[in-house]
Amino acid sequence: MTEKGCTMRQRCFLKSWVLATALVGMSFILLPLEAHARNIKVGIIDCYSGPPAVYARDALNGFKLALKEINKKDVLGRKKEGLLRQKIEFTTRDTKFKVGIALNMAKELVMREHVDVLVGTINSGAALAVSENVAMPNKVPFIVWISKSENITGKKGNRYAFSTGENTAMAGKAGGVALSRKPYVNYWIAGDDYEYGHAIGKAAWDNLKALKPDVKVIGESWWKPGEPNLTPYITAILAAKPDAVIFCTGGASMTNIMKAIKTTGMAKKVPIWIHTAIDYGVDKPLGLEGPEGVMGTTDYLFYYPDTPENKAFDKAYEAAYGDHPGFSAFHGYITARFIAQAFKKAGSLNKEKFIDALEGLKVKSPAGGEVEMRACDHQAVLPEYFGITAVSPTYKFLIAKDIVTLTGAEVMPSCADVMKMRGK
Amino acid sequence: MGPAQGFTTPALVSQLLVGLSLAMVLFIVTSGLSFILGVLRIPNVAHGSLYMIGAFSAFSISRLLGGGALGFWLALLLAPLVVALVSFIAERTLFCHLYEREHLMLLLFTFALMLVLGDLVKMSWGATYRSTTAPAMLRGSVNLFGSPFPRYNLFLLFLGPLVAIGLWLFSNKTRIGKIARAAAVDREMVGAIGINVSWVFAFAFVFGCFLAGLGGALVAPTISITLGMDHDIIMEAFLIVTIGGLGNMWGALVGSLIFGLTQSFGILFLPQFAIVFPYAAVVIVLIWRPKGLLKSVW
Repeated sequence: MTEKGCTMRQRCFLKSWVLATALVGMSFILLPLEAHARNIKVGIIDCYSGPPAVYARDALNGFKLALKEINKKDVLGRKKEGLLRQKIEFTTRDTKFKVGIALNMAKELVMREHVDVLVGTINSGAALAVSENVAMPNKVPFIVWISKSENITGKKGNRYAFSTGENTAMAGKAGGVALSRKPYVNYWIAGDDYEYGHAIGKAAWDNLKALKPDVKVIGESWWKPGEPNLTPYITAILAAKPDAVIFCTGGASMTNIMKAIKTTGMAKKVPIWIHTAIDYGVDKPLGLEGPEGVMGTTDYLFYYPDTPENKAFDKAYEAAYGDHPGFSAFHGYITARFIAQAFKKAGSLNKEKFIDALEGLKVKSPAGGEVEMRACDHQAVLPEYFGITAVSPTYKFLIAKDIVTLTGAEVMPSCADVMKMRGK
Repeated sequence: MGPAQGFTTPALVSQLLVGLSLAMVLFIVTSGLSFILGVLRIPNVAHGSLYMIGAFSAFSISRLLGGGALGFWLALLLAPLVVALVSFIAERTLFCHLYEREHLMLLLFTFALMLVLGDLVKMSWGATYRSTTAPAMLRGSVNLFGSPFPRYNLFLLFLGPLVAIGLWLFSNKTRIGKIARAAAVDREMVGAIGINVSWVFAFAFVFGCFLAGLGGALVAPTISITLGMDHDIIMEAFLIVTIGGLGNMWGALVGSLIFGLTQSFGILFLPQFAIVFPYAAVVIVLIWRPKGLLKSVW
């Protein structure tokens, strides 16, 4: 750029200095105003491509549905005339299920977009990496809404990490408690050979063994995640004649294992527990051809409990997205409510105040009742439903019958245990 | 946590049969890959995508026809034809310009095609899992030597050899099959005696892809039809083709048998390490015979 008005270097410098000072001064005057009127920014990192996109999209839909209601009023609850209504806005980034991309996206959202809260993701590795490498050093709250790794609010928990969904410790304990009431002794454990599979297997087994010390593992088999041909595993397991089988599968493997159970008629020969066997996201693609009689657990069912709130949520979700809400839609919905109410309680956009407000906060659950964000470990207190797959008279897919509810207090590790895990 | 206790004869027999039935699906898919590799010299990485399109098409066709037995059989017939059509378009518009390029270029091109087809599948069918079922007569299991054996796998055991015989008849008894085999050995010579090599190539490509589609339609009722199944199969298919001998149909059969059987017996004997067995077998074969078990046409 050429500066015609400046004949001497010094004068030119002086001019720009005055200009810069004026600008900075003005921004000091304007900033507080701007900060008050600006919207709350939520940055969402999740996997919107590939098979996990199903769950990520559902979570986002649940989140958006809750925002529709929330954004009708000022989020901070101010009623002063003349002020713009403060809303929650969000921006999403696709992590492509990769930890590296998730980290970069999270950093970008914090540094460039200046988000007030980070939310994500289905990938446990990514959730833990963002929690430790972006949320903690930058002091930005991070709410995990799909990943089921118990480490997020357990061993690797920190002041900035929250979880609005169940985790493997809770699901495993629910399975362990429910199985301990059954007469089975000799178990076979099999599943996806990755963190989720082993974590859920270990949690279920440790709890079962603690409650019923005479149980035994007579064999284990682990396949690569997404292994399409599970029939040889099942024939080998049946040949060993265990009393019951614990399958530790997730994602696409769920459909594979459910289909293999159906084609081999396995459920008629041996009792089986699989964590998400009664989950809507698992049973819907199978239609009425899913296997009946498989025991399963989940933290949300749109048809149970049969409360007016749950019915209304299902109806509103179906009207908006043409589908019933699965567990991740439920997590997305309560995440939005937690964010809105915590900011309201904090009365400002200060991130530390937001965290203090979120600790111990209770919001209305779309399933009825309330969900609490436990102050000690930042884990949402959610119940686990234990049931058995069965053909439904109303729906064109399997639903859970004989449902037993285990409360959050029953399935969550105690605050003392969590602190011990964190080495405090 | 003791070892498996299922080494009884019925368990061994049922494990053998399950392994064989897995090998049959692998054979149908890899024979197509091998055929293309032999005649066209194209390492078609997009072969897995065509297998995936076969499975998704089978889902849609059977859904369109109400999902019953008729839907299943027609899907088994039509889905490979859909794949054949897709591959025909790809061959006439893209591949036919590329035959003279080096292998690396072809590899990169087919890799790109795999990504494009993967995205097209996502655009047409979405990212959700799909599932289709076998007709009632092929569901459940039968009692075979005191062990339960899934009927669908029995069906695969019948179908596999039929396809193998069909392939043998095709490549040895039909004119076009003989020309294709000749082109695999010496394409200049085939051109020199006045045969339109371009159309031979088009046919060979479509035929190989048809087999990928057939494989996809066959596995559709047993697995979740989802994005990413292309990557799963293509790895295995290339390993099988490599250990069998590049471009050799019977090599594809031998490779598939090795892969399927080591997997199913590995699961029975050492379930904790079952994943490793087929790959260990591949390593052993390649150390012993780096060019594959049977004669490679390359």
